[in-house]
Amino acid sequence: MTPLIALSGISKSFGPVQVLTGIDLVIEPGQVVGLLGENGAGKSTLMNVVSGRHRPDGGRMELDGAAFAPGSVAQGIASGIRFVHQELSLAPSLSVAENLFLGNYLSRRSGFVDRKAMRSRARTLLEAVGLGDVDPGLAVSHLRAGEQQLVEIAKAMVTRPRLLILDEPTSSLTPAEAGRLFALVRDLARAGTSVIFITHRIEEALANCDRIVVLRDGRLVSDQSARETSRDELIRHMVGREALFAYRGGGRPGAGAQPRARIQGLTDGTHLAPISLDVAPGEVVGLFGLLGSGRTEFLETLYGFRPHKGGSVEIDGTPIVLGSVAAAVAAGITLVPEGRKTRGIFPTHSVRRNISASSLARLSPMGFVRAGQEREETDRLSSDLGIRMHSAQQAITTLSGGNQQKAIFARAMEAKPRLLLLDEPTHGVDVGAKADIYDIIHQLAREGLSLIVASSELTEILAIADRCLVMSAGEQVAILDRDEMSEETILRHAFTRHA
Amino acid sequence: MDLRNELPMQMPHAKPTPGTRPSATSAGSSALRRLAGQRETSVALLLLVVVVFMTFANENFLTSRNLLNVGRQASVVAIVALGQALVIIARGIDLSVGSVIGLSAVAAAATAQATGLQAFGIGAAIGTGLAVGLVNGLLYTRLHINPFIVTLGTLSVARGIALLITGGIPISFTGWASWFGAARVGSVPVQLILMLLLAVVFFVFATRTRWGRNIFATGDNPTAARLAGIDVDGTRLLVFVLSGVVAGLGGLILAGTLGSAGPDLGRGYELDVIAAVILGGTALSGGRGSIPGVLLGALLMALLGNAFVLLGVSSHWQVVTKGLVIILAVGIDGVRRGRED
Repeated sequence: MTPLIALSGISKSFGPVQVLTGIDLVIEPGQVVGLLGENGAGKSTLMNVVSGRHRPDGGRMELDGAAFAPGSVAQGIASGIRFVHQELSLAPSLSVAENLFLGNYLSRRSGFVDRKAMRSRARTLLEAVGLGDVDPGLAVSHLRAGEQQLVEIAKAMVTRPRLLILDEPTSSLTPAEAGRLFALVRDLARAGTSVIFITHRIEEALANCDRIVVLRDGRLVSDQSARETSRDELIRHMVGREALFAYRGGGRPGAGAQPRARIQGLTDGTHLAPISLDVAPGEVVGLFGLLGSGRTEFLETLYGFRPHKGGSVEIDGTPIVLGSVAAAVAAGITLVPEGRKTRGIFPTHSVRRNISASSLARLSPMGFVRAGQEREETDRLSSDLGIRMHSAQQAITTLSGGNQQKAIFARAMEAKPRLLLLDEPTHGVDVGAKADIYDIIHQLAREGLSLIVASSELTEILAIADRCLVMSAGEQVAILDRDEMSEETILRHAFTRHA
Repeated sequence: MDLRNELPMQMPHAKPTPGTRPSATSAGSSALRRLAGQRETSVALLLLVVVVFMTFANENFLTSRNLLNVGRQASVVAIVALGQALVIIARGIDLSVGSVIGLSAVAAAATAQATGLQAFGIGAAIGTGLAVGLVNGLLYTRLHINPFIVTLGTLSVARGIALLITGGIPISFTGWASWFGAARVGSVPVQLILMLLLAVVFFVFATRTRWGRNIFATGDNPTAARLAGIDVDGTRLLVFVLSGVVAGLGGLILAGTLGSAGPDLGRGYELDVIAAVILGGTALSGGRGSIPGVLLGALLMALLGNAFVLLGVSSHWQVVTKGLVIILAVGIDGVRRGRED
């Protein structure tokens, strides 16, 4: 059988940086291929070469056995290659149907848009991605993030692609939505469409792909059948270490001492039923719940970012003023928020100024920022946290996602917290940065810092948490001790209010 | 001010010494490269082109008398633009500054006339600016009205009040309070000195103090700023108050220069002021901006006005050219950065 697409010796560099070196890859029709690798390993660049956005510097590509050199994304699409990016490219105030056919509206011979045809085709496409109950006339902004992601995939299917490339499609999907997406992928594969599937979730790749390809530092390091490989082997290929999700805790100062933080009946009156929790010094409390369970709302209410409607919080026995971020920071609570790009970084600021942003009051007693002290402290934190960069003066957007996340970590640490709140601290970072962040969390806890870590990944909770608070539909449903924590128990509690 | 570039202001002090020649050259070339990356560079080059051209085109151009005149013409726009720059860096916009100039001038003249006390006139001008700035800031931060709409409203209200106070007839303003706009120290106009002093103050404030830093952070990503514990509403209020205060000062100066305060004073200044800020490399999308750039932008516009007078070209062409220069300078920057969508 002629392969759908065959790459041989593909290389690509941006300026002095060699991003891809000698990549050989063959995709058969109807195959589902998982593409794994750390951030910066070259996954997106490789897929951009395949889809026509970048031209390779060396090597050749063949499509159906004939030389293939797309000069633009449009040419790639014309050849049947569709790349669905992780960042959404939908027009939020247009309807779902309009978005699906954007730039390609179905029209009558008179030139007028054929709304009826668009609606009925939209309905078929939506059903295929598992959004059968969504009205095609609804504005996209009314959909949840996961639904928008699925609309994006439906949009790619309008042109009936032969190769569909999905970049982390499940990161914003609920388990049910992800399940439907994989069913769709299997249907497509049966009909002969090949699918390349970029992901950070290894189990997902193992369960749903025929083959798994791993990139590291721009080279293809392994290409195996999913049945013949394992999670540990893949992690080793990606980073060269195993034991990522091993529990590092134990031997920390336990209960008995005065709690570092005492949260009593904290509620926001809308999303959160009252929550009570004590956190000991040096303790890591995991916060688990399904999407929409109120994890983020709880952390943000505790942090004063959202208005509260009752309850009290004490830090080392001193009550704090709720409803003000400045008061929380002053009392020693800091938050590393979810959503690095939209809620974390200052994109045009340097790494250093991103780190010092929360601590300027301390660094500028007379109002003037002490540049020397700022440099010294931020440099020390950057090196402690292992932020990889040329200089602290470079714009934060020039760093990889994992390093940006460490910089936001450094910002929280620079404010000298006593209770550190982490909301999805490893969302969208590569395995290497993930391991670093787990090590950092462990180290901070050993130094006596208390942490509450919200995560939607059970493996993460099990790797770092000493106890686990489980939430379901805005309610606190369980606090599990370490010896009670297992994937099964935690999940069972998380589904309590989702009968 | 892009955050890396506190350098341009310091660079003139760097003197190459004989012993360090080789390293000085390499530092020079990297400084050059750095300079080429600055957003102010395109306006600085345009400025240079106009200066060189005018030096050859007209013998009266390169005289201290004429250049001081240009500086004087630039100063009110530049002073008001200093406040506007902070507003725009914080991702806002202040359309009311032209009307604040008019209302402050009228308030100063009317107060000085009514009380006979010049100091009250000065206080009235600054106080008027501060009050309008405070109203702008409060409407924005407390009622969450878009700043474009808020200041479009106060633009009209302030102008209307100025008309009501004067009944449409200019008030004479010639007491010692007019010193700011009328006097010279030696041959240098006071307002030019004031512009330079305020530029230094604003530069230090914006780049060295925590309040200045918070302005940049607020404009760059307001949500992240709030999550970082920065008082975003306080910062927004502050920039509108500062913008109002310098606009009030602008009104005081302009009335002093003219010797009278008419209700139409400062009409259309908001566009020149915003143009100076944008020309100087401040991003309308917030988070980035430069105080030295504001001076360059204001100077370029005054210089163009001067050039047209000296060359005897119709002032109607000046209006056309002003627009083209803004598009050109910002266009150069846009082409260099490439598309962002």
